[in-house]
Amino acid sequence: MSAVAQPTAITPMTNSARTTGSGISDRLPGIGGLLLAQIRYQARLLAGGRTLVIGIGLPVILLIASTNGHARATASSVAGRAVFGLTLTAWNTYGIRLVVAREAGVLKRWRATPLPRWAYFVGRIVATVVVSMLAGAATVLVAVVLYNTHLSVASALAVLLVFVLGAAAWAACATAVASVIPTVEAASPIMILIYFPVVIISGVIGSMSQPQWLSTLASYLPAEPLVHGVTTALRHTAGTPLLSIHDLVVLAVWTLVGLLIAVAVFRWEPHHPTQRRPARIR
Amino acid sequence: MSAVAVERLSKRFGHFAAVEDVSFEVPEGQVLAVLGPNGAGKTTTLEMLEGFLSPSSGLVRVLDADPRRGGRSWRGRVGLVLQSTSLDAELTVRETLELYSALYARPWPVDEVLELMDLSSDEQTRTGALSGGQRRRVDVAIGIVGRPEILFLDEPTTGLDPEARRRTWAGVERLIAHGTTVLLTTHYIDEADELADRVIVLAGGRIVTDTTPEGLRAQGGPSTIRYPLPPQVALEELPESLARHLDTERRTLVIQHPDVTACLGELVAWAASRRLDLTRLEVGRPSLEEAYLRAIGEPVIPQEHAA
Repeated sequence: MSAVAQPTAITPMTNSARTTGSGISDRLPGIGGLLLAQIRYQARLLAGGRTLVIGIGLPVILLIASTNGHARATASSVAGRAVFGLTLTAWNTYGIRLVVAREAGVLKRWRATPLPRWAYFVGRIVATVVVSMLAGAATVLVAVVLYNTHLSVASALAVLLVFVLGAAAWAACATAVASVIPTVEAASPIMILIYFPVVIISGVIGSMSQPQWLSTLASYLPAEPLVHGVTTALRHTAGTPLLSIHDLVVLAVWTLVGLLIAVAVFRWEPHHPTQRRPARIR
Repeated sequence: MSAVAVERLSKRFGHFAAVEDVSFEVPEGQVLAVLGPNGAGKTTTLEMLEGFLSPSSGLVRVLDADPRRGGRSWRGRVGLVLQSTSLDAELTVRETLELYSALYARPWPVDEVLELMDLSSDEQTRTGALSGGQRRRVDVAIGIVGRPEILFLDEPTTGLDPEARRRTWAGVERLIAHGTTVLLTTHYIDEADELADRVIVLAGGRIVTDTTPEGLRAQGGPSTIRYPLPPQVALEELPESLARHLDTERRTLVIQHPDVTACLGELVAWAASRRLDLTRLEVGRPSLEEAYLRAIGEPVIPQEHAA
């Protein structure tokens, strides 16, 4: 291998445009295009192999296991497993990745570019909502194929609406919590410690008998309304409602509160810069 | 107009003054190296220039704007390379550069940046699979893709092996050739010597020296002539003018004097009269290392080989 490869024939890159100011526009690219590119980029980063396994593979395995060999799956078990995949993506995968990116200095680097800060923030959350929603939808589709779960167009649209609101609520809260997690090592335990109690009392992994007060509490947390909302939409027939206002309101409030806190506490810089304060003072 | 103007800049973290009363200007097109040991205040100074930190007191202007208030268009004119690499491992080199280049008004074509930073053959590699040196060059490539008027480089080659350092330097040198103003921090003297027109040495948050690499070298003291005496020479037979410079323990003449020619002439004449072999004679120019250590107030350990 040659030591230092000499690149050949570099086109002269003059700075004439800067000095004369003529010819080339000095206007920065429009925000709309940048935002779209940012959403695509973030979605692409999030939708990797690990997300597929955790967001779709795991819920589908649970779904198959929970039908116990029966040819049908109940609406609530389909909803629960779909919500499992969606929330694992919007909360765990996204939240942990956010901490990793911040501690690696990726967020700091983006902050130093001409991309407005809000565009990075919005791009990341919208991408998370889209990918999480697709993970949930994939599980529902698997149920439709394997178990002939009935899905009308109205039901499908209602399910997507609940998915979007639910994913937004979880992603907003994950953004807020991730901002106060100090290290990459702490990210996974903290996110999971908050996550499992909430989803277990909400029928996401399987229904269990629990005291009434716990069920009431769960109905105001962001998991149970998500499961209930999807179940309601899947069960919808001529005589039953398509959506429940309670579910939508609870999810919308969590989204709003999560976003407000996230904006207030969001960090761009690593908690532990490689070298800011000197280890010793001369 | 100066690209950077810093006046009486200070930054305190609690009671600790990380940067104290620092003033300097960087004219357009200059390459300035800020040199100093860990904890000297290099990165703190740089972060105030980049707008990441607010000064405790003093004035900072970069491209005629306050970095803390620099808007989108200001950010579009400033390139920076942070101390640690900051890349998303999943993207390829080309994808990474295209993503960043889309943010700027007049970016350099990605192909040219790849060429400039010697990355053309790695463009389809995911950044997570690159070596440390390659990743650092991608960092620099992101820093320059927007065609910045000024580039901040925070320790661009720390932790790289010698070949990786050379390749990073080569990329930065090609960039400098295009007239970009560069401010880099480093604790490698050879890096400052290789790249910079000017060197500021920081120690304990203060500027201790502001000079050129040559000027810094001159502060290292006079040149050194070294001659280990052959075994057949008895120490008593040395002429007095040479005996003064004898390191008895090592049986070596160590002459430090501004007039190298005169000293050498004397030594060579004596050696010729005694028919001595001069193969092991060494003449060393003052090392930057010594000058740097002097500047930051460290004890200077005489070098074994000043070849």
